[in-house]
Amino acid sequence: MLQVCLLAILGLPWLGAAVIWLAGDRRPDRLHRLAVAFSAAGGLAALGLLPQATDEVALRLSLGGVFGDFTLVPDGLGVLVAAIASVIGCLAIVFATDYMQHGHQLARFYSLTLLFIGAMAGLALSGSLLLTFLFWEITALCSYALISFHNDDPRAVAGGLKALVMTQVGGIGLLVGALLAYAWLGDYQISTFLARAGSLPEGVLGLIAFGFLLAAAAKSAQVPLHSWLPDAMEAPTPVTALIHAATMVNAGVYLLARFYPAFSSVPHWRLAVMVVGALSALLAGLMALACGDIKRVLAYSTISQLGFMVYAVGSGALFASQFHLLSHAIFKALLFLAAGALITALGTRDLCQMGGLGRRMPFVRTVFVIGACGLVGLPLANGFFSKDLILEGGLEGGPAWLYAGMLVSVGLTAAYSLRLVGLVFGGERRGPDPAHDARPAMRLALALLAFGTLSSWLLAGPLGRMLAGTLPAHSLEAVGTWRLVGAILAHPATWGTLAVVALGFALWAGRRAFTRLARALAPLLEGGLGFEWLNRQIVDQTRRLAALVQRSQTGQLNWNAAAILAGLLAAAAVLLAGGRP
Amino acid sequence: MTVLLLVALAVVFAFLAIRARRLITSALWLAGVSALCALVFSLYGARQVAVIELSVGAGLVTVLFVFAISVAGDEPLAGRPVLPRPLSAGLVLLWMLVLGGMLLPGLPIPPAVPPDRAGLAEVLWGPRGLDALLQVVVIFAGVLGLLGLLAESGAPLDGAVAREVAAGRERDLQALTEQLQDGEAVPE
Amino acid sequence: MSLAPLQIAVLGVIGLLGAGFYGLLAGRNLIKIVVALQVLVKGALLGLVAAGSVKGQVALGESLAVTVIVADTIVAVMGIALGVQIRRRVGTLDVKELSKLRG
Repeated sequence: MLQVCLLAILGLPWLGAAVIWLAGDRRPDRLHRLAVAFSAAGGLAALGLLPQATDEVALRLSLGGVFGDFTLVPDGLGVLVAAIASVIGCLAIVFATDYMQHGHQLARFYSLTLLFIGAMAGLALSGSLLLTFLFWEITALCSYALISFHNDDPRAVAGGLKALVMTQVGGIGLLVGALLAYAWLGDYQISTFLARAGSLPEGVLGLIAFGFLLAAAAKSAQVPLHSWLPDAMEAPTPVTALIHAATMVNAGVYLLARFYPAFSSVPHWRLAVMVVGALSALLAGLMALACGDIKRVLAYSTISQLGFMVYAVGSGALFASQFHLLSHAIFKALLFLAAGALITALGTRDLCQMGGLGRRMPFVRTVFVIGACGLVGLPLANGFFSKDLILEGGLEGGPAWLYAGMLVSVGLTAAYSLRLVGLVFGGERRGPDPAHDARPAMRLALALLAFGTLSSWLLAGPLGRMLAGTLPAHSLEAVGTWRLVGAILAHPATWGTLAVVALGFALWAGRRAFTRLARALAPLLEGGLGFEWLNRQIVDQTRRLAALVQRSQTGQLNWNAAAILAGLLAAAAVLLAGGRP
Repeated sequence: MTVLLLVALAVVFAFLAIRARRLITSALWLAGVSALCALVFSLYGARQVAVIELSVGAGLVTVLFVFAISVAGDEPLAGRPVLPRPLSAGLVLLWMLVLGGMLLPGLPIPPAVPPDRAGLAEVLWGPRGLDALLQVVVIFAGVLGLLGLLAESGAPLDGAVAREVAAGRERDLQALTEQLQDGEAVPE
Repeated sequence: MSLAPLQIAVLGVIGLLGAGFYGLLAGRNLIKIVVALQVLVKGALLGLVAAGSVKGQVALGESLAVTVIVADTIVAVMGIALGVQIRRRVGTLDVKELSKLRG
């Protein structure tokens, strides 16, 4: 049963991808139905896997030699992330049947999305470092191909390339870490690595730890590798909701949480993780305040919320990070899909052309506000509980100055969320009238996600039990839902956080008092706080270096042979210096 | 002692093959190297490889070289070498010194091991059977490649494509001449 | 001074490799470069056979040598065929000139 579920989670989406690819674009209605069927089956299999979580190897494919065994381990962490990927993937595809109604090249769209869903589930469930890397790269490839889906739009192509290159930087970190671990332990199994990480030399473990941090920062769009995510918003909105909000960007947080027990003893690693998370939360929150494109605002808020999770992992609050990962996946997918409904109705992403939509599109307004409540962390929405758990964990496990920074981020979140809702739904109508409210399939996906936003916190207890029961290396303890809720409500920090949220609302409401400051800051924020400039510099310098190195490529056989000989000499010199084996 | 003599001779022949001015001389010296190597192999006990080397290395490849040189001509190239000659020589000498320094001093002088009685065929089709199969594939690929290369007709640019390209150029030229004759400015 | 069989072989390998490399670095004629490659490979063969014989595993050394001979003969044949074709089409075998070809 377990094996069947596992194979279904991975295999069904991939089978669907192949079938749809082969079916071609001739009959769009059939493609819609096929995609929904395959993704729904995968989602059901993932839900069926949830109660069967175990820390044993469930599937083993022996490849022998240097590749070791490819294993699938459905432990709590993996099952959670795989279920998020499969279920949200299914909802995104249901939404896409309306969103992509008049789209071209549906086969390419659906098969890449399904390929991604399978790869993401595989990434979460993989028990081998090498297999993890493999799936990691497949998700990056799908992300690139889907960002550049509208490949006649130069911005989409540039955004896709940027995402690909920046996540590859992280991929190198993961690969180097995995190979180092293999070199010292002779095994790619994650369980082996977690059990024997203490026996590695300190420097090697540090290198692996920071390599993985690099990988996580690139994948989860953390400072300073965050700038690909806003540019990834050129992708079709269901893809954005799925890949760039709910699932793939979680992979970094997942990776950090997975390996936390091995790395927590590495000097400065935890602090580095917390600083990366807090900086991302803070800076992205600031940038979201100044942004004029609805999807980019949501992208910055994704970076900011991922920062919260990374910060939580760094401070040791693993359960809080995974709980927030679940909450965030739901409410951010809801927000993006609602934004997608707005965009199809209006034909624009520009906030300046929205406004006054509350009365025209009441359904979308309701679900969007529910999603925003989750994002801000208002009581009753799932974000309230998970975010407060993170902050409490940070207060206990991290320095106070970082906690203060996170509180500021909470205020910023409240401010930009209120701004977003106000600009979209409040005030006067500033653009063309919407063509229609959300269509039926959109409504179905949005309603399910809104329900999830309001109720997923009830799963805190079972989630905690599952994680604690199947992750022996992480030493977690399970707490029941109501005890957890009681503890959160009784904690003074919760009320402090709520006060900060109110302050954030007040900040936006009383923004006229800060007009001068806002004007001074605006150009800085629109330029991505200098990170865009940094990116451009790096790209330019790389090009210049490439041009320089190109000169050594004379294309002449003799020079090539000389270079080979010189390389041999260098290798021999290294061997001589190191002594004969 | 015989082995030493033969090896030394092979090295000398190799240098002569490289230094030879004419290609045909070079090919003949190479055949000499090959034959000497075959002799050395047989002295080391590797009779079958010696036979293969003699027939393939000294025979077949030499014949091919001679054929190719007779087709392609054998005129010496004028001008200077691409790399300055001292640089080449220096690099190679350095490499030989390093290799010698690495290999020779620590070389164990092994006790005479009683030879393994397994024959070449057994090893080739037993433990290294996969290699043997791959070799068959490589030979086939090589023969196919050779046929493709030596084919006189059917080369990419010889047929319809070449005519197409030529016709296109002709048309362009025609249009250009007409424009010039009309005295109009050539459009951008 | 008497040399062990393995030492003789290593000296021969070094000499043959050196000659081959020099040919690769200094040769300009494509066919001459194929000759240099052949010399290099003879060095490798000598090493394989000698090592097999000294270790008492003549057959293993031989089987490896056969693999190398096959691969190397294919390389030589392809190189020669390429040389002939290039000479026919371009009119020279000089790698200095050939590297100027574009397209």
